[in-house]
Amino acid sequence: MDRLSLYLDPQIRDWVLFPITLVMILVGVLRHYVVVLLQSPPKKLSRAATREQRALTRSQILRATSANSPIPPSFYKAISQNLSEAFKAGTYLKDGPPKGDAPPSAPNPLSDPAAMDGMMAGMKTQMVMMVPQMVIMGWINFFFQGFVLIKLPFPLTLGFKSMLQRGIDTPDMDVRWVSSLSWYFLNFFGLNGLYRLILGGDNSADASRDMTASPFAAMGNTQPGQPQDFNKLFKAERDNLEFAEGLYSWVGENMETKILRKYGKLPYDSK
Amino acid sequence: MATPADTSAQLVFAPNVLHNQALNSVKFLSSCFAGAVAGILGLENWLGFALFIASIISTSFIIYAVNCRGKPARYLPGGLGELINPGQDNIFTFILVWTLFYGIIHVYD
Repeated sequence: MDRLSLYLDPQIRDWVLFPITLVMILVGVLRHYVVVLLQSPPKKLSRAATREQRALTRSQILRATSANSPIPPSFYKAISQNLSEAFKAGTYLKDGPPKGDAPPSAPNPLSDPAAMDGMMAGMKTQMVMMVPQMVIMGWINFFFQGFVLIKLPFPLTLGFKSMLQRGIDTPDMDVRWVSSLSWYFLNFFGLNGLYRLILGGDNSADASRDMTASPFAAMGNTQPGQPQDFNKLFKAERDNLEFAEGLYSWVGENMETKILRKYGKLPYDSK
Repeated sequence: MATPADTSAQLVFAPNVLHNQALNSVKFLSSCFAGAVAGILGLENWLGFALFIASIISTSFIIYAVNCRGKPARYLPGGLGELINPGQDNIFTFILVWTLFYGIIHVYD
């Protein structure tokens, strides 16, 4: 069984092996471009809405490096206090400062058109991803069934026999002789690297990636969307700013002493 | 509360990290060629995987010595681990190309 070698018609190589690979590469590239074309451009936010989001981002950037901050104390404290007061007074809010009597209602995701667009885009890409895979599998099962295609150079356990030798009813044949569907699976996993090379890192032809991401991405994309109460976010950000201000220290503090010590003009133990 | 990871994250220059994608291309191409070599030589079973591991080691050694000049932590955010790790994609690419060339040369007459 180990030295037994089947003789395969070279036409199988020409008409099955190469065409399957070629078709899978081309369908992957096609899928990527279809997704690119189907993506609607991101909805333009109004100036007030953009200002509101950017204010939050500015404060987060400020906070992120506060422990080792590159900006001197006067600047840092000025920006921090400015933002803090603006958040409190609500000057950056999209609809103006809160009225005080009417509690702001979070927009319903189903009625807010911006969030709907996000969900639709996610579902569209999912459809585009899954359909070609099903079609190709059906095509292979229909046309290329019932014969041995190739011999794997590495051994597998008998458990794989039913999956890789579908349609060939020989109980004794080595698992290394496989049918065309297993060539499809090999290509399915192995071509991702090629897509990354020709389509760039963020391509939509990567099939195995959306198999793992699909249940969660659909959920995750709807959450951090429009239905966010910026008033509450601003209040939380105020607290964070105060906390960061407590942690603040400038990298350039005591710089004169540090430089003198580094160049040996000042002994290490003096203050 | 600034952990050392935070302070060093501040020093990473984003456009350079993007350029490190070139490293991924190198890894992909080297695993393609390793697969071709393994298939042409007719290596089977563990010999083929040994060739793959040898190709990973030699590629990462060359990058370590020539490009990173012995200090991968300065050039790659993940350090030595990121340099050596071939990634799941490249393992499957190796197996695909290996099977392809093995089949073309040794199975088909």
